[in-house]
Amino acid sequence: MDLNRRQLLWAGGAVGAIALLAACGGGDDAEPTGSATGSAKPRKGGTLRVGALGRAAAITRDPHGSQANESDYLIISLVYDTLTVPGTKPNTEPRLAASWTPSEDLKTWKFKIAQGATFHDGSPVTAKDVVYSLKRLRATPAGASRLPGIQAKNITAEGTDTVVLVSDYANAELPLLTRLTTFVVPDGTTDKDIAKAPGTGPFKLGWFRTGNARLVRNDDWYGGDVYLDAIEVKIFESPQAMANALLAGQIDLASNVGAVAARTAESRKDVQTVRRPNDMAMPIVMRTADGPFADPKVREALRLAVDREAMVKQVLSGYGTIANDILGTGDPAYDKSIPQRARDLAKAKELLKEAKFDTSKTYELLTTEDIAGLAESATLFATQVREAGVKVKVVKQESAVFWDKTWLKGDLYTTYWGTNDSVVFFASKTMVSDSGQNEAGWKSTEFDTAYQKAIGTADAAQRTQLLGQLQQIEYDSSGYLLWGMADGIDLAGAKVRGLPKLPGYGRVQLEGAWLAS
Amino acid sequence: MAGQLTSEPVAPAAAPPAPGKRPARASLLFLARAGSALLKRTALLALLLALVFAAVALLPGDAADATSERGESAADLAARRELLGLNRPVLERFWDWMTGLPTGDLGISARGEKVTDLVSAAFPNTLLLGGVALLLTAVLSLALGCWAALRPSGRLDRAVSGSATAVLALPEFVVAVALVLVLSLWTGWLPAVTLTGADGSPASWDMLVLPALALTIPQVGWNTMIVRAALADETRAPHVETAVLDGLPPHRVLTHHVLPGALPAIAAGLATSTGMLLGGAVVVETIFNYPGIGSVLASAVTDRDSPVIAGVTALSGAVITAVLLLADLVRTVVTGGRR
Repeated sequence: MDLNRRQLLWAGGAVGAIALLAACGGGDDAEPTGSATGSAKPRKGGTLRVGALGRAAAITRDPHGSQANESDYLIISLVYDTLTVPGTKPNTEPRLAASWTPSEDLKTWKFKIAQGATFHDGSPVTAKDVVYSLKRLRATPAGASRLPGIQAKNITAEGTDTVVLVSDYANAELPLLTRLTTFVVPDGTTDKDIAKAPGTGPFKLGWFRTGNARLVRNDDWYGGDVYLDAIEVKIFESPQAMANALLAGQIDLASNVGAVAARTAESRKDVQTVRRPNDMAMPIVMRTADGPFADPKVREALRLAVDREAMVKQVLSGYGTIANDILGTGDPAYDKSIPQRARDLAKAKELLKEAKFDTSKTYELLTTEDIAGLAESATLFATQVREAGVKVKVVKQESAVFWDKTWLKGDLYTTYWGTNDSVVFFASKTMVSDSGQNEAGWKSTEFDTAYQKAIGTADAAQRTQLLGQLQQIEYDSSGYLLWGMADGIDLAGAKVRGLPKLPGYGRVQLEGAWLAS
Repeated sequence: MAGQLTSEPVAPAAAPPAPGKRPARASLLFLARAGSALLKRTALLALLLALVFAAVALLPGDAADATSERGESAADLAARRELLGLNRPVLERFWDWMTGLPTGDLGISARGEKVTDLVSAAFPNTLLLGGVALLLTAVLSLALGCWAALRPSGRLDRAVSGSATAVLALPEFVVAVALVLVLSLWTGWLPAVTLTGADGSPASWDMLVLPALALTIPQVGWNTMIVRAALADETRAPHVETAVLDGLPPHRVLTHHVLPGALPAIAAGLATSTGMLLGGAVVVETIFNYPGIGSVLASAVTDRDSPVIAGVTALSGAVITAVLLLADLVRTVVTGGRR
């Protein structure tokens, strides 16, 4: 989910200031009754006009394709169903799979398909359809990371309503992996027909044209009541244009529009701001394998030198929370008992001295402008650590250069992760020794052992305890400095109710939305 | 030449033959010149397209990187490269793409969509917006330029020239932001952004107003200056002085004697504006969320998507070539084939 540089220019100061002026004018002063995410008795009917970010040239219709556009993902998520969906607690909830049971060794998982689930053309969903869809997903270039540890030959049907997945290793968190991309299409759907393939989701596709779509309610949805008659998805290239459209009343919901837009809309009483916490992590990566930050004392010093509150206040305009260098803040298993690191410049200097860190040199911090606030976070961090005697120069790279040359290789750089993912997810993707995206080149046998133990433990209480140990190791010695978490921010008109509260991809769960009269 | 572009009947053959009064020869001359210009411009466009491919190849990263997801291994990326044909030499890919061009095949985007599908909805939208903006530019700059020219060095002339220079220097995005603020968010008179319906074109005509104005205003500045200068040059021509001495009223001198001679310069100015309008469209379309080719191009560059970039370049190049030929035609007709 990336924005390009021009959009960020847009999200920049001058325009923000102008939009601020704009927000001061117009709008009525009626306080909205109820709230976007509150609970009242839902009313049926109406069309919700939703703006979502996307680029015209990046449009894809394939549910298993490479998703760059939030607008495409939103449309696909409402038309098709995944096996499971993100939840709050637990963080994995049933969808097309009504239930799942693991084997004793946590390698074999059986998913039971929801009763009465049908495709939009009326045909029932069978295990065959699910197996076909999962194999199709597995065969995509990103298949190995989308279904980690599951080989195509180990995806099989058992009867008409059960799908069996066999993992190469014990994995207590396997259902969590099926939350985001396991969209189900009918068995045998060819690439040529994929755009027209019927889904099983809460909405049917009315029309699709150049990234815009009209979706109409699926009255036969197995998953419960859907209130809206229709949802119209409008593609927006820039968050600023999307905010303007909302302020001008051309759309009812601006999905994931960001903090700059929220600031400009603060004075408008007829606009609701929805904050979805733990939406985006923007950690600073310090290389552990070699280079100037290989000594854990140096990394600890930088973690003590950063002023977390100031980062959240200035980089995120206050739309966020401070974090504690552990990734997976939205996970129910996140360990809140680990003490919060606070700024301690004296201790930081002491540690640097002990580590014989060369403070005469200037170190480069590499960053990009992929997402709003990322480059700003680097700049502010550089000013803060200067107070501990560390000289940092921020180098902004063009997105493609950054991903090509810096990511996974640099000594000191910013990264970002924009999903509501779990402690285990981040550990498996970025911190286990052999993970493909080990951003800091971190190899810790202690951590690997704790990880293997945790995902191989069936008992939930015991697993939580093991995950606590895992997080403690991460807190003490990983290559991450996670200073805070950005909120996901949506803006909505006064009448919109029942909006999603979850961060990351949870923002697409509009099946419960409704319009007050 | 006087009367060339008016409805006055052509002078009888008894009159001394003036250049340009031999339509057959003039049109032959024009055709020959248009043909050679077309050939030259086509060759230039082909070279430009080759440069597009080369430039994209020189940029860091490639389409496989740009369209991959985090978590794809080196082997996955290699497979993706193979799939997109990126492992072949750039010259070969360019040749492949070029051979499809005459048949209207613009290749496949990095995300597997047909490039013709990507541009088929967007390009007409941009042409519509650019066409409206060009028409507005022509009418406004002619009106302002003539108005100023009627009272040379008067207060009005100075005011028009001064404001034209000021507006000329304004970037499109400044104009666009000011327009959204005043005409949409503060007053609510016009929609802030363009939304499309099921047919892929703007849902209502009033959505065109702001983006067209944002493109037009800077161009009017530029073209008013050209019109004013061309008229001033032409005013010094002997036949105009004769007309003035004959006591013809100023506006008649302007429309019948000054304007026709100034037309080639004005047409050339407008032709140049076409290129600038297409360039400005990239910025303006983003601000107004206008579903045109500008946003397709910008995101294709991000994706290192050569077939899409080349496709957009080819279409834009064709349009600009056509407009330049039109400007040539105007000059040929007016000057009767004299250079």
